[in-house]
Amino acid sequence: MELYRALGSLIEPPAPEHARLAQALGLPAAPAEEEHAAVVAFQRHAYASVHLGGEGMIGGEVRDRVEGFRLALGLEEGGHAEAETAGAGRPPGASVATDHLAALLSHRPETASQGGFGVAVATDHLAALLSHLALLETWRRGEADPARQALLSQARDTLAWEYVLSWTPPYLASFDRCGSAFYEAWAVLLRRALDALCDEVEPPARLPEALRTAPGFPNMREASVDEIVSAVLAPARSGMIVLRDDLVRLARTTGAAARATDRRTWLRGLLQQAPQETVGWLAGHARRWAERTEGARPRRVALWWSGRALRTAEELERAEADAGASLDRRRGPSRRRSATTAATGPADATGPADAAASAALAGAPGASAASAARAEVAAR
Amino acid sequence: MTLRDLEARVSAAKAEVEARGETFYPGASGVHLAAYPPKERWSDWVELDAKAWPKRVERRYVLVPTTCFNCESACGLLAYVDRDTLEVRKFEGNPEHPGSRGRNCAKGPATVTQLTDPDRILHPLKRTGARGGGQWRRVTWDEALDDIAERIRKAMDEDRHNQIMYHVGRPGEDGFTERMLAAWGVDGHNSHTNICSSGARAGYHFWMGLDRPSPDHENARVILLISSHLEAGHYFNPHAQRVMEGKKRGAKLVVFDTRLSNTATHADHWLSTYPGSEAAVLLAIANHLVRTGRYNKAFVERWWNWREYLEEVRPDEPVEFSAFQRALESEYAEYTFEFAAAESGVSAETIAQVAETVAEAGARLATHNWRSAAAGNLGGWQVARALFLLNALAGAIAVPGGTYPNAWNKYVPRPIRMPAQHPKRWNDLTWPADYPLSLMEMSFLLPHLTAERGGRLDVYFTRVYNPVWTNPDGASWIEMLTDPERIGLHVALTPTWNETALFADYVLPMGHSAERHDVASYEQYDGRWIGFRQPVLRTARRRLGEGGVSTRGANPGDVWEENEFWIDLTWRIDPDGSRGIRGFFESRARPGEKLTVDEYYAWMFENSVPGLPAAAAREGLAPLEYMRRYGAFEIDAGVGALYEEKVPPGELADVHVDPAGRAFSRAPAPAPDNVVPIPPVDGDEDGRARVGVEVDGVIRRGFPTPSGRLEFWSRTLAEWGWPEMAVPGYSRSHVHPQTMDRDQMCLVSTFRLPVHIHTRSANAKWLNEIAHANPLWIHPRDADAKGLRTGDLARVETEIGHFVAKAWVTEGIHPGVVACSHHMGRWTLNDEPGQAGAAVSLRRENGEWRMRRLKGAGPHRSSDPDTSRIWWTEAGVHQNMTFPVQPDPVSGAHCWHQAVRVRPARDGDRHGDVVVHADKSLGAFRRWLGLARSASRHSPDGTRRPYWLLRPVRPERAAYSLPSRASGDAGSG
Repeated sequence: MELYRALGSLIEPPAPEHARLAQALGLPAAPAEEEHAAVVAFQRHAYASVHLGGEGMIGGEVRDRVEGFRLALGLEEGGHAEAETAGAGRPPGASVATDHLAALLSHRPETASQGGFGVAVATDHLAALLSHLALLETWRRGEADPARQALLSQARDTLAWEYVLSWTPPYLASFDRCGSAFYEAWAVLLRRALDALCDEVEPPARLPEALRTAPGFPNMREASVDEIVSAVLAPARSGMIVLRDDLVRLARTTGAAARATDRRTWLRGLLQQAPQETVGWLAGHARRWAERTEGARPRRVALWWSGRALRTAEELERAEADAGASLDRRRGPSRRRSATTAATGPADATGPADAAASAALAGAPGASAASAARAEVAAR
Repeated sequence: MTLRDLEARVSAAKAEVEARGETFYPGASGVHLAAYPPKERWSDWVELDAKAWPKRVERRYVLVPTTCFNCESACGLLAYVDRDTLEVRKFEGNPEHPGSRGRNCAKGPATVTQLTDPDRILHPLKRTGARGGGQWRRVTWDEALDDIAERIRKAMDEDRHNQIMYHVGRPGEDGFTERMLAAWGVDGHNSHTNICSSGARAGYHFWMGLDRPSPDHENARVILLISSHLEAGHYFNPHAQRVMEGKKRGAKLVVFDTRLSNTATHADHWLSTYPGSEAAVLLAIANHLVRTGRYNKAFVERWWNWREYLEEVRPDEPVEFSAFQRALESEYAEYTFEFAAAESGVSAETIAQVAETVAEAGARLATHNWRSAAAGNLGGWQVARALFLLNALAGAIAVPGGTYPNAWNKYVPRPIRMPAQHPKRWNDLTWPADYPLSLMEMSFLLPHLTAERGGRLDVYFTRVYNPVWTNPDGASWIEMLTDPERIGLHVALTPTWNETALFADYVLPMGHSAERHDVASYEQYDGRWIGFRQPVLRTARRRLGEGGVSTRGANPGDVWEENEFWIDLTWRIDPDGSRGIRGFFESRARPGEKLTVDEYYAWMFENSVPGLPAAAAREGLAPLEYMRRYGAFEIDAGVGALYEEKVPPGELADVHVDPAGRAFSRAPAPAPDNVVPIPPVDGDEDGRARVGVEVDGVIRRGFPTPSGRLEFWSRTLAEWGWPEMAVPGYSRSHVHPQTMDRDQMCLVSTFRLPVHIHTRSANAKWLNEIAHANPLWIHPRDADAKGLRTGDLARVETEIGHFVAKAWVTEGIHPGVVACSHHMGRWTLNDEPGQAGAAVSLRRENGEWRMRRLKGAGPHRSSDPDTSRIWWTEAGVHQNMTFPVQPDPVSGAHCWHQAVRVRPARDGDRHGDVVVHADKSLGAFRRWLGLARSASRHSPDGTRRPYWLLRPVRPERAAYSLPSRASGDAGSG
């Protein structure tokens, strides 16, 4: 399935070779580096671990599981390594051990003929996952032995279900109206290809492991600001993707300044400056995500994402309502803080301001600083 | 368009692009991270200039591959040659190199700092004052070559061939100078190997006939390393990456290392064994495998020489495998976990756990010993022998995840000419009869042998080698090099100044990795590849259309390459061909003309490297062009267990199988394209050649040993004076606690800094910035007892002198042991140290050599503005000078570990001080010589050395005979 491999390659940093790939696929002209940086590298992180992990970050348990999956395939399921040992001396992957899944999945020998020798790859990157999928599919189709073909089918289905289809519905949706004709078209085409895959894959009875075990969105009454920020920015916890572009829109809505910092610091600042408005906007964002993923495929995965976003929206809405009530109870004269100061305050601020913001978000008493900031925004 | 149509279009586009030999998907992985420039764009690669940031300034490069020359492993490099200025801007990895796969350690990219080293030697220099006086004049290559050739020719004419010697440090091209010396008829090859790896190599050699291990870390279940320096990055970065891959696949890593090394920190089991006890622990593991029956009995029965063992060692036993199994249990019964614990200081429980881990590995047991314990201890060669015993028990030899013999994972292409002749004379200075089983030349005894036995070298080449600094007892080297009676002419071939070159008569500038030709191949996985080192500016300029550029024309200054140098020198030695030498370097295409390196390599790549011509043709290239473009070629992978291979019928004629199962044939053996050194096992008395060994009724290749099998019991050892060591065993080292005085400690001096090498890295500013000190590691318990704290000066007293180092108190060292890395303590007699280390005073007074630091590292002006930014003052201490020579009586390897006394420095001591008592040096030499068992007393057949043992240059068979009265071995038993 060269199509998977080609589509995977195109989400990597642009290279001259992408021009002919784009042409072959009928896509718009391949983007420049700046476009890739603006649309993909800084916004839409193409790693399973970002979208399936509880922290929303690259690496961690999800990547370990992808790697473990590869190991398991190579060393045990096929049983070829043992067979080769008994066969006196043909190592896995060498001399084109064509039936060896370890060789197949570790890019040998195919990539050798492509001129490379397997640099250290992030195995949970979408390009790597699609390449694995393509390799498995290629071998599955070429396998004459029904038993081994069934094994390869199972391997392919598991890879697809657990590590590709489990997170691509929201990820590809994030490219809608992304401002890049190329990447919009790329996402549409990949979605078509994956939808076709859904027709072939035998869906297991259970949801993918990462979705089943993903921690939920925290109780806003109990969580700290940092916990809330982490949960919002972890797609698997919140059901939504919050891009830097989204934070620009959020900041514009609340009247706060855009900040040249990471999303985590930025969002925390917004929650400190304008808790209620920020929470309200995020609730709306979650509702929009619930709608965006609802109709995607595979159906059960899409419903999980949609449901997760919906629950996040409800929790945020409740917190917004609580905060409003609290604000109403506590509105009154207090120490003012200029919007400029708030917008450019120390990025690593913790302590009273955070505690106050948490308290305000939870509707708790004693939220004077946050209340003051909120009042200031309201007054403007 | 349907998905099916799109699939077809992409597949067609891919097929079309790849048919042109181009890269369809960017990046080496073909999947992710475009880490390397696609190879089809190497002729015109555009990158932004990092130094121009934030401006976007594009630079255009020709990317030319070569191989690294810093350590031995010959990793692939890509030189980024600026198309506008024709300067090398940087080096990165070569993704086309099968061994290193585009990855490099720090030393590879640092090559660029060696090229631009402000202190480098750019022109041939001739001494004008006294040796070591530091006065030089620039000479032409012609002047130097004529002078050297004249002396060599005269020596040959006067039958003084043994006064010509070539002493190599970092190897260049496999076999090049060995063949040249054979053509000269000179048994003058000398290597550094007996201060390096020969101990371990002897252990492997006695087992399987081949002397280096090639572990398949990537596919192992258990990786067992004796020490770490190989896998920590000094040698064999290709191994390091495969160790990591093995671990990622679930392999357990077991590391024996007295120190907490980088590799040990990644180990599942780190065994901080007391130095010299490693074999005891390994034999305890072997005992566990044997006692519990968890070894590969079928393999042992088929491939060990157990019948020979029973017949010779246990003649009362029936020659049956069951009897051997009982004997095996008996041999190792004494090596209990408790015994090993008492010897090593590692708990019996831990050793038992490791034994279980090894037992569970089955045949996927990758083991490795290079230097370390084998290079440190009296009897160290038995460490490698005991280690390989585990592989031999498990059947983990040349199978996936096991350990392969190096020669099966290495390829040395047959060159355009092979010398027909062998030297007629045996050189006693390098191969004294005292050490008949020495795996390599007794190189480090050269000063002592010339002093004691009246030896003289009329022309002595040191080639990328620095024995004054690297070898033990460096003062004795200075004494030899400054003695005109012993050294007539000393020619130092080196890219950089070093302590030995200071005492040369000629200093001739040779190129770094990007300035010379070599073909290299090393055992790094179960495959065979060649790497091509080339002068990158010469290649780049030719690729840009400039014809006729020579290596010297492209290199900076007058820097040359050795291949052209030797060709030219050989022609000057034998200008009319009357000596039969010149023909060795004569063109085939143009008889009577000098061979060029282009013809030399073009012939080799067209005729001796299977698959290369076809691969080149697929890209429309000649084989030499292909190698100049890609720098490496993989001949095959998955070589596997060659010993199991059936000998084809074409090699069998009038076959005779002797009672030991060895098969002999009259069929002419096919001339191999791969001329990797293989021991020459003897044929039968009727003139048949040995072709294999009969196993299971089939004639198989077997091993290149006298028995054709793995030699658990070595007839060679037994018959040449060492019957008690004929099976893998353990004997206590010279630094065993019972051997030393109570106030002595063991000094481990064999470990390396991963970013440094011996001769040339002092001139690599990046590497110096990373590592520039070698403090004395000492355990807190010992430090407390001696009143030492980190940073305090300590005086370390050896048998022949002392040095003063800074203490570093750490729990990362075994109690009772101190350690100090080599690589540091570089010095110069110049007033300004430059980059090389420290400026020192060195004088001999009243039988003592005294070195004192005058000035350490520091900022200074040079053509490189970075030298004004040197922020460190450390330069380390030159400890090796205080070590006596300690040759192992069997393997001949220097036993590096020292019995020392460590005390707080005395008043007046300064960091870096070195004091050596010259009179004690010869005493130590004589004492160790007394341990040897000479050929004159122990040779079973009147020869100097078993013929089958490897030897870099092999004299005529007749030269192996001992003279009627053994000369030169009066000191040994």
